Amino acid sequence: SCSRAKDVTMPAKLPVSFFSPSSPVIDLFRGQLDYAEQLRQDSEIVLYFFYAPWCGQSIAAREEIERVASRLSDQVLFVAVNCWWNQGKCRKQKHFFYFPVIHLYHRSFGPIEYKGPMSAVYIEKFVRRVMTPLLYISSRSKLLDFLSNYEPGVVGFFEFNASPQPPGYLTFFTSALHSLKKDYLGTIRFGVVTDKRVAEEISLVHSGSVYLHRHANTSLIYPKDIMNFTAENICKWALENREMLIRWLRPHGGKSLLLNNELKKGPALLIFIPYNPLEEIHPLLDEITKVALEYHKCNKSQAAEPDLQHVGDSDSPAFDSSVTDAHLKFSETFPIAKYPCCNTVVLPQWHSISRTHNVCELCVNQTLGVKPNKVHVPRCNFLEIEAALDSFYLQEHTFFQVISNTIECSNFLSFYSPFSYYTACCRTVNRHFLSFISSEKTIFQTPKVAFSSHGKKDNTQFSIPHIEDRNCFIPDLNISSTNITGLSCRTNKTLNLYLLDSNLFWIYAERLGASRSTHLKEFAAIVDLKEEVHYVLDQNESLVGPTLENFIKNFSVLYSPLKRHLVDDPSVHFHEEHVVTEVTTNTFHETVFLSAKNVLLLYYAQWCGFCASLNHIFIQLARLLPPDSFTVARIDVTRNDLPWEFMTDRLPTILFFPRQRKEQSVKFPEDSSVNLPNLLKFILHHSSLSSSEPCTKECLHKESVLQQGHISHLEREIQKLRSEISALHQAHDQLEAQLSEARREEQRLQQQKHTLEKQHKTLQLHSDQLQATYDQKNQELLEMAEKLQELADASENLLKENALLRILVASRGGKLQSKDDIKEPLQSEQTLSEDNDISLSTATAALAEKRIDNIDTIETEHSSGNRTE
Amino acid sequence: AVRGPPGPGLSAPCLCRRERVRAMFYHAYEHYLESAFPYDELRPLTCDGQDTWGSFSLTLIDALDTLLILGNVSEFQRVVNVLQEGVDFDIDVNASVFETNIRVVGGLLSAHLLSRKAGVEVEAGWPCSGPLLRMAEEAARKLLPAFQTPTGMPYGTVNLLHGVNPGETPVTCTAGIGTFIVEFATLSHLTGDPVFEDVARKALKALWKNRSDIGLVGNHIDVITAKWVAQDAGIGAGVDSYFEYLVKGAILLQDEELMSMFLEYNKAIKNYTKFDDWYLWVQMYKGTVSMPVFQSLEAYWPGLQSLIGDVDNAMRTFLNYYTVWKQFGGLPEFYNIPQGYTVDKREGYPLRPELIESAMYLYRATRDPTLLELGRDAVESIEKISKVDCGFATIKDLRDHRLDNRMESFFLAETIKYLYLLFDPDNFIHNDGSDFDVVVTPYGECVLDAGGYIFNTEAHPIDPAALHCCRKHKQEQWEVQDLMREFYSRKKSKKFTLKRIPDRGEGENAKDPEDSSSDKAGEKRNSKKSSHSLLSCPSQSFNSKLAVLGQVFLENT
Repeated sequence: SCSRAKDVTMPAKLPVSFFSPSSPVIDLFRGQLDYAEQLRQDSEIVLYFFYAPWCGQSIAAREEIERVASRLSDQVLFVAVNCWWNQGKCRKQKHFFYFPVIHLYHRSFGPIEYKGPMSAVYIEKFVRRVMTPLLYISSRSKLLDFLSNYEPGVVGFFEFNASPQPPGYLTFFTSALHSLKKDYLGTIRFGVVTDKRVAEEISLVHSGSVYLHRHANTSLIYPKDIMNFTAENICKWALENREMLIRWLRPHGGKSLLLNNELKKGPALLIFIPYNPLEEIHPLLDEITKVALEYHKCNKSQAAEPDLQHVGDSDSPAFDSSVTDAHLKFSETFPIAKYPCCNTVVLPQWHSISRTHNVCELCVNQTLGVKPNKVHVPRCNFLEIEAALDSFYLQEHTFFQVISNTIECSNFLSFYSPFSYYTACCRTVNRHFLSFISSEKTIFQTPKVAFSSHGKKDNTQFSIPHIEDRNCFIPDLNISSTNITGLSCRTNKTLNLYLLDSNLFWIYAERLGASRSTHLKEFAAIVDLKEEVHYVLDQNESLVGPTLENFIKNFSVLYSPLKRHLVDDPSVHFHEEHVVTEVTTNTFHETVFLSAKNVLLLYYAQWCGFCASLNHIFIQLARLLPPDSFTVARIDVTRNDLPWEFMTDRLPTILFFPRQRKEQSVKFPEDSSVNLPNLLKFILHHSSLSSSEPCTKECLHKESVLQQGHISHLEREIQKLRSEISALHQAHDQLEAQLSEARREEQRLQQQKHTLEKQHKTLQLHSDQLQATYDQKNQELLEMAEKLQELADASENLLKENALLRILVASRGGKLQSKDDIKEPLQSEQTLSEDNDISLSTATAALAEKRIDNIDTIETEHSSGNRTE
Repeated sequence: AVRGPPGPGLSAPCLCRRERVRAMFYHAYEHYLESAFPYDELRPLTCDGQDTWGSFSLTLIDALDTLLILGNVSEFQRVVNVLQEGVDFDIDVNASVFETNIRVVGGLLSAHLLSRKAGVEVEAGWPCSGPLLRMAEEAARKLLPAFQTPTGMPYGTVNLLHGVNPGETPVTCTAGIGTFIVEFATLSHLTGDPVFEDVARKALKALWKNRSDIGLVGNHIDVITAKWVAQDAGIGAGVDSYFEYLVKGAILLQDEELMSMFLEYNKAIKNYTKFDDWYLWVQMYKGTVSMPVFQSLEAYWPGLQSLIGDVDNAMRTFLNYYTVWKQFGGLPEFYNIPQGYTVDKREGYPLRPELIESAMYLYRATRDPTLLELGRDAVESIEKISKVDCGFATIKDLRDHRLDNRMESFFLAETIKYLYLLFDPDNFIHNDGSDFDVVVTPYGECVLDAGGYIFNTEAHPIDPAALHCCRKHKQEQWEVQDLMREFYSRKKSKKFTLKRIPDRGEGENAKDPEDSSSDKAGEKRNSKKSSHSLLSCPSQSFNSKLAVLGQVFLENT
């Protein structure tokens, strides 16, 4: 039966419906793909939801789809298909690597895969875009609205007068749909203008022209003569040339390098705002967009500079045309792009006595004829800056004597290219601060030597040497005079701007130190991956345009007043009863430096196996050391950032901060094993007081305190020993009990043995007796046999005699016929002897049987006796 | 205004998921007791039991500590009594040395160490004595005959009554040789008998000595001749827990030698088998790819990496493996990476725990909601696909989700346990050292249950503090007392020199003269070269702050 059950298998359960019957979603839970495709004829817009019934993400997305369906079911057909059921058509024809998959069809165009967040609002927004991929722009004001949006806009101009559909319109329409395939976030918006007058606003004259609007750079017109007018090409052209002043980051949840790639481009400003894509207006977003536009509006800043020189290309009206309000006038379309880039140059110190220092920001401004479809990255390439530096140093003499608190700028020509000019803005900085910074830098490079000398300087107030804190000594460097407009081009710390929906990605904000308690999920942080620092916009300030501008400005100025943000673990609360003190970023300074105790600090991380297995040692240590003069503390460095000089690159790391010499911290040697005796030796070695000093009153006091401590320690020790003794007693009792139990057991066994022996003896006796009886019987038997033999012999003799007698009788009979009477008594004697013979043989057989029985019982008794023994 | 999205931000529904996992446990556990006990395993389709790895009521032993993790103290106590009365190792059964160790010895040891927490009345000598410890020791002693080979590497199978059967095959898989140190060293430390730790170490060293020139080990070796019989090198089936135990042994015993072995292997593994965050199978001598396959068993690797601080790489590999789960609703035994599909005859998923295990470790390190998402997917998949009236059935074929008549004991020991722990961040197992217990033993006072539990490869947690409680403890205490006296005396004259990290144990274990000296000296030089202790993790980089929700960062090169 076992082997049969082994082969038992069970086919997968039959599929059941996934959506409720009342749902507006048609649920083809048997995977009827053919039917699903038939259904497509019925509706202009169809959404397919391919799911697997076991898939967690499909189950989670089901609700969202239902929500969208309940709002759009009159215009869109929602079809769910079980694409897992292996008998179904869908499974046989499609091969998905994940579930759910959402496909959209606009009539015959499709599939357009939705790859955005599985959230009803985002899905609905996308479906609506598929429904109306082109926005009809009927008036000038609508055009303004359309173009002022932060997302790039593509406008097609098509005159609908003669024919039912102007040539190219369908292509343009398809390209709008096509863009949704490529760009699932739908960042490029497509609009169509039919009115000639409206089209003129963006200098479109010919029907069939397509225009890509850009805010900071010049806008472009689709080059029909160079590229074929196909849906794919238009889409590709728009994607390649669009402006990315500010970008949404929407990680899809799978493995991705999105943040890696974006953040490695340079410092990034991440702005978290709650975002509902369905809402008509987003005031906060508009405000942020405005800041972004200003930040990238390099043309204007140059226009504001004095003595602007245009070399080479004289007709570059883009410079002048951009006026403060982007809503009023649009930059004109020219196949020209200007992209400045900047670098900071510190001038060599010519006057070493002078306490001033000149710092210049050198910007390359190129005006080059370039092809319109080339993508421009607003960054300097190395060669350009090299060239600019060469030119700059050649003219250096004009700069190095500048001693001024204001920024002064001048432009000069490149020595290499007639198409470039450079702007240098110089400023004088008090050298005191500069040297300060550089001294800090040397400390950076040797963080392991660490912690010497810092704390001493200003022991009084907040003495902890945050590098960040230093910055607040630096006077305000004309921050107000720095204008956000075009800042991106004037600084070498150009920021890339990103938006994140805090409804979806608040976790990143929390990681960067956003408070978990706030209800308002707005947050901004500048992340510099290369420098491994980030700055945070104070969450007490509301996230509005001006605060954001200030944040950017403060980052961009040469000696930024921003402090590196240290993320702190908010979940840690101070527990009096914890023997090991838990230190956080915020309590670090207080616990380690301000306290008058010796501090042993363990750097650990919860996930690190080597740390967690040491817990018990530190607990023991903390219980051993007198708490009034020693603190055993630890800090989880995964959740608590520390100033650079206190960072460590390996975990666990153990530091000892001796009382009164906190700056002379020492590290527990890495090649020693971490155990209680070693830790004690380490502490003893480094906390040793100078014993040679003569004993004053104070010393006596100290001594008495120490001895007090010793006494209490010994008392504790005695306590411990007592409990140990009691444990030993217990163990003793237990052993005693076990022993007596064992003894009793032994006794019992002994007794058992005795009884068994007795039994054995009686059995022996019994067997002897039996043997005796056996022998006796045997003897008897032999005797019997002998007797029998005798009898047999006797009877034989008798027979012989008989025969002789017969012969005698016969001979006599022959002779004496008359003597017949004598013969009869003799015959009866013979039958009697035969009877006797039979009874004897049965008796011997019975005896033999009995003997075998006896041996058997003896044997069985023997063996049972052995086992019990 | 906007409602929260379903995907990320999973913190709230955690507890309801936890309760679902609890319900799953009892569905399986109660049916086992009802229909299968005292057999080893439940057969969920036929609703009966069968013996698989011996005849030890294996599922019950394996599920014991899960009961406590779920908080069911009374059932834990009941089962402890049942096992004490019912389990007999004096049986004429051929048992796998490896499986008996990890499931039976490991299960009993961890139950022994947890029994005080579970409210079982313990003897005065606990944790250095106790009925469960005696059972574990008895079971382990039954395995010792397997280690009597010329190389010290054990046979794969042993008869519990008669020892190694004559004619037993000498071919053992690598994991079957190198997966003893956690249980055996714990046994030695608790009972005071060094024999267990010694045989385990000897076997580990024999493997180390027989690695190939490029630093890899194969899949199967002849324990008599030390010839590699199967020369596929990888991190999965046949090898997996060897690497795991080098790391866990190093952590448990603070042993640099074991760690240096692992780090050397790790280098070779990275060099030869790692491609695009996948780990393939290669020929152990040449390093050429022999199978471009991902095995379900390999999914423990990210968890192991996170224990030693390689969290970035761990997460990257985990995300690869997660895509396979999303494709099938489970991990097939073999997955052909270039083809993106299952491998013939290896399409099953016996509800293995490895990916969930890694998720639990990684969640500790990163708190990344993606890991909870895997937990959610696992709960949904297992419930939707494999739940039957009598328990949870092995998935025989992930392509069509056909079920098999088996529920392995690791489902309750590991899969459920790790799932539950993933969704229960406040479980005592996750204790970060803020809580602890003090126990007074005849060997002195002892701090226990301070967290840092080491899971053996069958997910039985061992408290590392317990290893410092017995026998050797007393010696150390005297030393500490001397130091404390010094501490309170005013004159500090002595110079204190710290003991270097010992190479093995405390040096009191017998050394095997033949293999060591030259080899070891070389290693010591190596470890000296690196500036930091081998027993440490690197601290996390800045970009790890943002490495959540699938985002990975490339190293700066």
